[in-house]
Amino acid sequence: MAEIKTKPNWLKVTYDQQKVDKMNHLLEGLALNTVCAEANCPNLGDCFGNGTASFMILGPNCTRSCRFCDVPHGQPAPVDLLEPARVAAATQKLHLTHVVVTSVDRDDLPDLGADQFVRVIQAIRELNPKTTIEVLTPDFQGKTELLDRVIAAKPDVFNHNMETVRSLTPKVRSRATYETSLKVLAYVKAHAPKDLFVKTGIMLGLGETDAEVYQLMTDLRAIDVDFLTIGQYVQPSDRHYPLKTWVPMTTYQAYYQMAVKKGFKFVASSPLVRSSYKAKEELEAVYNQ
Amino acid sequence: MLKEVHMPKLSPKSDQYFFGSWLKQPGDTVKVGDVLFEVETDKVISEVQSQENGILKTQDAQEGQATNVGDLVATIEVS
Repeated sequence: MAEIKTKPNWLKVTYDQQKVDKMNHLLEGLALNTVCAEANCPNLGDCFGNGTASFMILGPNCTRSCRFCDVPHGQPAPVDLLEPARVAAATQKLHLTHVVVTSVDRDDLPDLGADQFVRVIQAIRELNPKTTIEVLTPDFQGKTELLDRVIAAKPDVFNHNMETVRSLTPKVRSRATYETSLKVLAYVKAHAPKDLFVKTGIMLGLGETDAEVYQLMTDLRAIDVDFLTIGQYVQPSDRHYPLKTWVPMTTYQAYYQMAVKKGFKFVASSPLVRSSYKAKEELEAVYNQ
Repeated sequence: MLKEVHMPKLSPKSDQYFFGSWLKQPGDTVKVGDVLFEVETDKVISEVQSQENGILKTQDAQEGQATNVGDLVATIEVS
């Protein structure tokens, strides 16, 4: 349980029960997991209130146990071949013009879950041809043949999170490396159609320094990553990676300015930013540029 | 008519939160959408809005206390 008065005043959201209830009612019976609920996202009230959600396929149990993450680690479920049709139906039911599809890590599967991403993209597109699709994928252990399959399904945005700076990656993430994640982003940018945007996100407050964040930005721009999201890490429980700092707003602003200067096409940098939070508005902003 | 306000479920993974502070006092007029109180959950401070128009009659939760989903938090005389 949360400790009282540990959170800064700007980590504040509005919660409208009626709107959240309405969204829960819409999602009921679809037998889908949302990353909003599984990761206990602080923006759930806002996104559900606005009728949006991010679907988490191949879950709810993850084969990795990253120390920052609230998604359950455990015995993975068999791949559900009806799941793609349900995600497509939910996209239609919620009238989503942009849909974010993410997954748990599935190191247990021969394809590491890549083919389910492909099936979900195809199913969404068949039923919702005008909806833009953003995938937020695992690292697929850096296997390029798996990335090729996802690229070939032509999502509009390919997102894979770096999560943190190089020095903290081994402490915070499980079985994932800084190099592999960079390689994933670089490969997709180099091999995907030019109209596919590549995106990544990081958390602040884990103990990173300014210099390390700027180096990460440089590394990302060297491989031409398009979008960057930066938000505050909130420690889910005492068992998770300890929060080091509540990063002040001025730092988010400084990072935003630096990221724009370094050439990212879109940057979202503020405490409540999460990788799929307001993803639709992000893509629209870039299309309108 | 007196309407009870109960603690909503604010976090998918937890049913117990810290009651933060009251933004409306007994006797205050409240409208749908007005923030009644703040609650601290595992990940965030949530502002909880009124679902009713009326006058806040009683505050039934204390600032700084643990509170459970479903607990009586307030009553509103609806207009």
